[in-house]
Amino acid sequence: MNDETKKQINQRYERQLDKGERFWPDTIFKDLIMSLAIFTLLILLATFIGIPAEPKADPSDTSYIPRPEWYFLFLFKFLALYGQLPIIGKIEWLATVLIPGIAIGVLTLLPFIEKNPNRYYGKRILPISIMTIMVTGIILLTLMSEVPTVAEDGSKLLGTLQTLVGIFIPLTAYILFFAFKSNTRLMLWTTSLAVVSMILISGTVLALAPEKQAEETEVATTLVDQIFAGQDLYSIHCTECHGDDGSVAVIQGVEGLEGEKITPINSRDVLYTITDSAMYEVIAYGRPNAGMPPFGKTYGGELSRSEIDYINVFMRYMWDDRFEIPAEALKPLFPPLATGEVPSYDVHIQPIVKRYCISCHRAGKENNNYLMTTYEEILFTGDNAANNIIAGDEGSYFLQVIQEHAIMNPEKPEEELIGVMPPNRALKPNIVDVFFRWIMNGMPQTAAEAQALSPTPVP
Amino acid sequence: MWNNIYNWLDERLGLNDMYTNLLDRPEPKTTWWNTLGSASMFLFIMQGITGIFLTVYYTPSPDHAYDSVQYIMEGVAFGWLIRGIHHWGATLMVILVFVHMLRVYYTASFKYPRELTWLIGIGLFLTTLGMGFTGYLLPWNQKAFWATTVGTQIAGTVPFLGEFILKSLRGGPELSALTLQRFFSAHIWIIPAILVALMGVHLYLIIKHGESHFPTKED
Repeated sequence: MNDETKKQINQRYERQLDKGERFWPDTIFKDLIMSLAIFTLLILLATFIGIPAEPKADPSDTSYIPRPEWYFLFLFKFLALYGQLPIIGKIEWLATVLIPGIAIGVLTLLPFIEKNPNRYYGKRILPISIMTIMVTGIILLTLMSEVPTVAEDGSKLLGTLQTLVGIFIPLTAYILFFAFKSNTRLMLWTTSLAVVSMILISGTVLALAPEKQAEETEVATTLVDQIFAGQDLYSIHCTECHGDDGSVAVIQGVEGLEGEKITPINSRDVLYTITDSAMYEVIAYGRPNAGMPPFGKTYGGELSRSEIDYINVFMRYMWDDRFEIPAEALKPLFPPLATGEVPSYDVHIQPIVKRYCISCHRAGKENNNYLMTTYEEILFTGDNAANNIIAGDEGSYFLQVIQEHAIMNPEKPEEELIGVMPPNRALKPNIVDVFFRWIMNGMPQTAAEAQALSPTPVP
Repeated sequence: MWNNIYNWLDERLGLNDMYTNLLDRPEPKTTWWNTLGSASMFLFIMQGITGIFLTVYYTPSPDHAYDSVQYIMEGVAFGWLIRGIHHWGATLMVILVFVHMLRVYYTASFKYPRELTWLIGIGLFLTTLGMGFTGYLLPWNQKAFWATTVGTQIAGTVPFLGEFILKSLRGGPELSALTLQRFFSAHIWIIPAILVALMGVHLYLIIKHGESHFPTKED
C-alpha cells in the first residue's frame, strides 16, 4: 500500500470523524447500556435456567457418550462427517489439524492476505461470500450435532445429507468462486444458492432425525435428596445381605452366603473405623474373601461413582451418631393408615416393597421367579403365583410368609416351599398390617381405588 | 474544597490530560454493532469477579472438586447465582467475541491502519476459547470429564507431536488429578494473564486509531 492510498484512507476517516460523535458521552453511553443489558440477561439465565445437575466424573463409565463443549460441537460433527469420506477419511489429522489449522491461519493473517484497501461490501464479495458460507456451515453443524450419521436401521441417508451440508456444498461453492474470478453476480448467486440449500437440507435432516431419547440421569444435589437416593440404592443392592437397617450379623436366605457371619454395618466398629473413601473402595471393589461382590462399574458392578457416594451419605447420616440427620430426611415411608382405611399400591405398597423386597425380588436374583418391581409383577409373577396373592384370603402365601409362617411343600411336607420373608428379619407389625389390609381388600392400585374401598371416606 | 482536591490530584495524576486524550475524543457515527467489543470486555470482568469468588470455595482435586462445586450451589449464600453468572457468562463471551470478530470481518475494519488490532483480536479469540476449554473441566462431572477426554484426544492427533501435546495437556497418558490441577492453573493464572495483556494492547490500539467507521461506497 503506497503513501497516497494511506493518505486517502486517513482523510476519509477524518471526514467521518467530523460527521461523527464524541466518545464521551455518546459512544460510552451505548456501551454501558449494552453491558447493563448483558448483566440483566446473565442474572435472568442464572436464576431461571440455572445449571443442569450432572453426576460426578466417572472414568469407568464407558457407556457415557462424550461430547465436547458446545462451541466445539461443529468441529466434532465435521470430524464425524469427514471420517465417512472414502480414503482421505482415514487420515484423521487432515481434519483435526490441517483444516482447522488452515482456517485459523488464514483468519489470523487476513490483513496480509486481503491487502487491497477496499472496505465497501460491494467490493468485497469474495471474502464476504466465503465467510458467510463458513458461518452458515458452523451454525448448521452445531444444530445437527445430535443427529446420528447412521440411523438405527442402518440407513446412511442422514449421514449423506449432513455431509452435503458440512462438506460438499461449501467445497463446491469455494471451487466455483475461484472459477468465476471477478464475476461478482455469479458469486452472489452461488452464495445464496449454497446457503439456502444448506439450510433446507439441514432442516430436512432435523425433521427426519430420530426423536432424541431423554437421557434423564437422576442427580441428587441437596443432602436430603442424596440421603433418599442412597436409601433407594441401598434398598436395592444391600438389603439382601445387610438387612434394611444394616444390622444383620449372620446372612440368611441368600444363595451361597447362607450363615456367613458379617460385621453389622450400622455399628460403630464399621462407621468409626472406615472413612468415606475406604467405604467407597469396599463398595466398589467388594470383599471377595468375605463373599461381597464388587458393585462399582469399574469392577463389573452396576453402581456409578455418584451412586456409591449416595449410599455412603445415606449410611453416615442414618447410622453414624456423629452425623445429624436433617429432619426432612426422616419422613415416614408411607402415610400412616387410619382405622379401616384401605392402603393402595401407589401410596403404600410401592415404597415398602422398594425398601424391603426389591433387593432380592428383581430380575437376576434367586427368588422363585417372583418379581416385585411393578404392580402387575407383584400380583402375577412367581412359581407360586396361583396361591401367592388371593384377594380376601388370609391364607395367601404372601401373607403367611411375611407373618413368619413358612409354606411347606405339599408333596414333601418336611421341605420348605417358601421360607419366611424377609429372610433376615421380620417386618414391623405396622408394615405387615398394611399388606394384610391391602390383600384383604382386593389389592387396589391407585389411591382413588383404595379410597372407594374404604368404609369411611378419608377426610 | 472539592476543586482544591481535584486540582491537587490533577497536578499529580494528569486527570485533565486523561480526559482530553481518552474520553473527549471524536468518533465516527457508531451503531450497536460497535458495542460488542466493550461488551466482551465487560463479560471478561464479570468472569474475573465471579471467578475469584468461586476460587474461595473451589478445590481443584478429583476427590473434592465435584463436592466443592455442589457446596457452592447448595451451601454458600448466593453461590448458585455466582456460579450461574460464571457459567452463562462463559457461553455468552464465546458468542460475543465471535460475533465481534464477524463484525470486524464484514466491515473490513481490520485493514490499514488496524492490522495489528486484528492480530491481537485473534489472540483474544483463541485465549477466550482456551478459557472455555480449561474451565469446562473444573466441575469434574461426567460432562466435563468426557468433554476434556475427547478434546485432548483431538489435540493428540497432530502428526509427530500429538503424543507429546496429549501428555502435556493431561499431565500423563490419562486424565487425572494432574490434568485438573494444570487446567485450573491455566484457567485462573496463565490464560487470564495472557488475555489481560492482549486486551491492554488491543484497547491501546483502539484508542490510538479510533473506531473504524462503517464503510461507504467510496471506501
